[in-house]
Amino acid sequence: MKNIMFIFLLCATIAAAGCSSNVNSAGSKGNNDQAKSSVNGSSNASEQAHSIEAGTQELIVAGQEIAVTLDPVQPLTTAYLRNMGVAEALFKVNAAGEVIPELAESATAIDPTTWEIKLRSNALFWSGKAVDAEAVIASLERSRELDLQAQPFLEGMTFSAIKDDTLKVETEREHLPVPLNLSYYQTAIHNAEAKHDSVETMDMTGMYKVVQFVPKQKIVLSINENYWGEKPSIATVVHEEIADEQTRVMSILSGRSHIALNVNPSSLAQFEHNDKAAIIAAPAANTQTIYLNLNQSQLADVKVRQALSWGLDREELVVLGAEGQSVPITTWLSSNPAYAEAANAVYTKFDADKAGELLDEAGWLKDSDGLRYKDGNPLTLRLMTWGGDKALGEALQNQWNNLGIKAEVQHGDYSLIETARETGDWDATIEAWSTFGDEYALLSGQYAPEARGNFGGFNDEATNQLLAQLAGAADAEAKRKLALQINEHVAEQAPVISLFPRPQLTAISQSLHGFEVHFRQFENTITSRLTLDAQ
Amino acid sequence: MCRLIIKKMLQTFITLFFATFVIFLLVRLAPGDPVNIMLSRTGEIAMSDSQAYDHKLAELRAQHGLDQNIAEQYVTWVRHLLQFDLGSSIHTGRPVQAEMAERLSATCLLGIAALLIQSVLGLFFGTLSALRAGKLIDHIVRLTCIVLASTPAFVLGLALLSFVAVRLGVYEISSEASWSRLWLPALTLGLIGAPQLIRVVRASLLTELGQTYVLSGFARGLSNQLVVRHALRNILLPVATMVALSFAGLISGAVVIESIFSWPGVGKHALDSILLKDYPVIQGYALIMVALVTGINLLIDALYVLIDPRVRLKPRVRRELRA
Amino acid sequence: MHRRKATFSLIAGCVLLGLIVVSVFGASMLAPHDPVKQSTLERLEKPSLEHPLGTDRFGRDILSRTLHGGQNTLISSFIALIATIVIGLLVGIVAGMYHGSLLDTILMRLVDVLLSFPFMVLAMVIAALFGTSLFHLLAVIVSVCWVTFARLSRSIVLQAKTETSFAAAKVLGASDLTIMRKELLPRTIGPVLILATFELGSLILSIAALSFLGLGSQPPTPEWGSMLADGRDHFFQFPHILLGPTLFIFITVAAFNLIGEGLRNQLDPYEKIEL
Repeated sequence: MKNIMFIFLLCATIAAAGCSSNVNSAGSKGNNDQAKSSVNGSSNASEQAHSIEAGTQELIVAGQEIAVTLDPVQPLTTAYLRNMGVAEALFKVNAAGEVIPELAESATAIDPTTWEIKLRSNALFWSGKAVDAEAVIASLERSRELDLQAQPFLEGMTFSAIKDDTLKVETEREHLPVPLNLSYYQTAIHNAEAKHDSVETMDMTGMYKVVQFVPKQKIVLSINENYWGEKPSIATVVHEEIADEQTRVMSILSGRSHIALNVNPSSLAQFEHNDKAAIIAAPAANTQTIYLNLNQSQLADVKVRQALSWGLDREELVVLGAEGQSVPITTWLSSNPAYAEAANAVYTKFDADKAGELLDEAGWLKDSDGLRYKDGNPLTLRLMTWGGDKALGEALQNQWNNLGIKAEVQHGDYSLIETARETGDWDATIEAWSTFGDEYALLSGQYAPEARGNFGGFNDEATNQLLAQLAGAADAEAKRKLALQINEHVAEQAPVISLFPRPQLTAISQSLHGFEVHFRQFENTITSRLTLDAQ
Repeated sequence: MCRLIIKKMLQTFITLFFATFVIFLLVRLAPGDPVNIMLSRTGEIAMSDSQAYDHKLAELRAQHGLDQNIAEQYVTWVRHLLQFDLGSSIHTGRPVQAEMAERLSATCLLGIAALLIQSVLGLFFGTLSALRAGKLIDHIVRLTCIVLASTPAFVLGLALLSFVAVRLGVYEISSEASWSRLWLPALTLGLIGAPQLIRVVRASLLTELGQTYVLSGFARGLSNQLVVRHALRNILLPVATMVALSFAGLISGAVVIESIFSWPGVGKHALDSILLKDYPVIQGYALIMVALVTGINLLIDALYVLIDPRVRLKPRVRRELRA
Repeated sequence: MHRRKATFSLIAGCVLLGLIVVSVFGASMLAPHDPVKQSTLERLEKPSLEHPLGTDRFGRDILSRTLHGGQNTLISSFIALIATIVIGLLVGIVAGMYHGSLLDTILMRLVDVLLSFPFMVLAMVIAALFGTSLFHLLAVIVSVCWVTFARLSRSIVLQAKTETSFAAAKVLGASDLTIMRKELLPRTIGPVLILATFELGSLILSIAALSFLGLGSQPPTPEWGSMLADGRDHFFQFPHILLGPTLFIFITVAAFNLIGEGLRNQLDPYEKIEL
């Protein structure tokens, strides 16, 4: 009898929990004001103007992370807001890599240090305030003051309003690509007078506006009725945070979400025989690179560094580290499609013999145990990895071991790497920086002596001179030539070893149409051309 | 009785402060700076000049009071604590209390549901196994327990989620903590924790069933059921201990399951905060968790007396026997 | 009849354990391939004659890795288990013996604090502060896992103290130490050993969880826990990738379980009654 009681109790518990209606409970309630829904009157009225189908459609996007706050100048916010069509900048980059107008209407270069930008006459913030020159300048100044990530793009620029719809930009550097700089999400235009601390007080210009925000859970958007441009057809967008990658994949395979961001290459096989969803693999302008610490004695010798690059079978690394979803490159800038010609420069093939020769020349001779020694010390290399680079690290370790190097790999938290960098106690780490943008900004950010991306202490006279020339380059042609030159020269000096462009995979449901493949997919997921099949 | 309660509360407070002080020290001793982590994670293009970065770093550190020494920081934190203010997260800027409240309730919900399932499974199969010891059903139960105990949590979670959500399509994968989404993660957690409980129930019950009072019960003609019920009551003490331990473990350790089922609980939040070195959140979390678990254990201690009246809270009486 | 069953259990367990130990420590002779040799062409292969348990994402033979990896796993989990049991028993019996005193209170509050602190958090802090070697891994595990044993043994002691045998021992003038050794320890060892056999399984899995944080053996040294962690990415496409370590863990846990059952039957002074 007792047994029957227990079985009954067990079944009752499971049944009760499972058959209950879908009621939002613990997660959404609480002291959080931002969770309150706020749909204003105008939106309600115009919903009836749309067709019934589109009016009730809900697009669900499963992402690894959603906006952390609603304030565009806070870290980890604007990128997500732009991706969802909430935030806009003056310009944007299209899939072909060209800079085209967004909130601005046009830009003209008056002289090498002055630009005139004409704004759209019909652009409005959600609150109804006009996006005029003063509002734009206020927004840019706010970003410059409060957002560290916006500073590289606004550096050396002075803004002033000429007319209501025109602003003048004076630059310190000559031939600064102002529209390109003003196309980055960090320069997104927002109402500088608004507080941006809750759904009610945030004020931006995008085609979707935020109606509900549950931090670290979801953000709900609905159409901005006063949008200046082509309005989207899908009424509601829900951006959910599903941090676990395999769960994200399952959410789209189960039919619940329509877009899954940041899919791991290892999940590709799950989409092969699936008619519900497909994978979009847009090559990103972002190079997976090994940064070497030039202050370490064994890495101070350029021959050793070159050997490390010659001795890498990048094809194998692409298979083992990126499941074949990329192509090998040997120079840093060549993941940018405009510089693809340099993809195979300097280190034209995998040459283990050449690597061996270089190491021999550098004094590291192979001993009977297969390792290389110099003055009794073995050639060691400690690689630190974090995040998703564990497999890549192990593959590298294996390849370097084959060259006779005693390679160790340590996978852990990013803070361990940071600490190691502070104390100088590191040999190699893996990073991936963007390679799309103004060539001078990109290259000086990596190879200038004081640059943030120059982890290993690279200070080369020839490179510094070339960078100075690049800063003053007159036209696009000259810039390109210099950029290629620097790119190749740095590859020869090998303070960093480039591997392959980081893969960028998105899964989209077969019921979604109009998805635009973009090499900067992380800020171009939601567009106005998306349509969803009727359920 | 009143004095006892006051004494227990005093102990609790001392424990809390001691524990939180240790946590406070530990997280600050571990290398890595929260502001640095926050700023360095978010760059798209590296800056060519570190000056602006260093300047902003110093500014933010001062803003969060990180430029003071550890003692000063602790005093500041305690001062705010006494005003019931746990501070704001460095990463998101939101008050720690608000964040914790949202996520803790989700985790507690999951924990209680999982505990219920685990207890039912544990008591049922443990009793069944003990009563039919040596028979086939006992072997099947034991084998299943070993299989469950050797399987990693993520395997069980992913397999169940894949089967129920993708294959069957009856479970919704989203980021909310709703009633309809509770049963699967609770079931998974219950299955993971059940083997331990089954074993303890089985072992304790077998020992108990070997006691003389059981034999005498049967000899006197009492029914099977009655004797077993008495035996079960007597093993309630170690079983209750295990259940209480499980709850504490569930609350603080359900990280993997919360992550796989995207259940917005406190475990994953705490883990992320540790990685980000978000001091206020870590400290607030530690405080609340220690308070919660201490509270539960005190409750169990109090229940000990109710369950087994032979156990007194003040055994001073027995000392007299020594003389 | 029970004795025979007990002996059978014990023998079966020991045989299984022996098999595991021999195959794992004789890995250098038994393993068909080099456990660290990568082979891109043979990635993620299903089990075959060439590779009885398949290959992993680097093309390494899983059977060889499992055999070699078992050494690290078994040694570290065994050491951790013994340390955990000893500390747990010690603390639990002492706390239970002096129930109500300051010592008991302090120990139990310490238990509370350790219980409430999430395991991964502590692991991360120790990894960051002190290092990621095997020793640190063991330190993390032991410092968290002894708590379960302490609480369990304490609750058993609390009950044992109500027995007349306990009062009798006290009346007869036995010292505290003698009582703890002769009366309390035998009563606690049974359930604790049973718990331990299950703790072993979760211990190995905890080692797996910690290897996500970089604690424990470093690549390319194989270890059951890190093999589980590494195999997670490809679990859906190639479920066999987890088969090797899971199977061996299962057999190990089963072996300890059988041994534990057999020991319990031997140690239990009271005969079980059939119902």
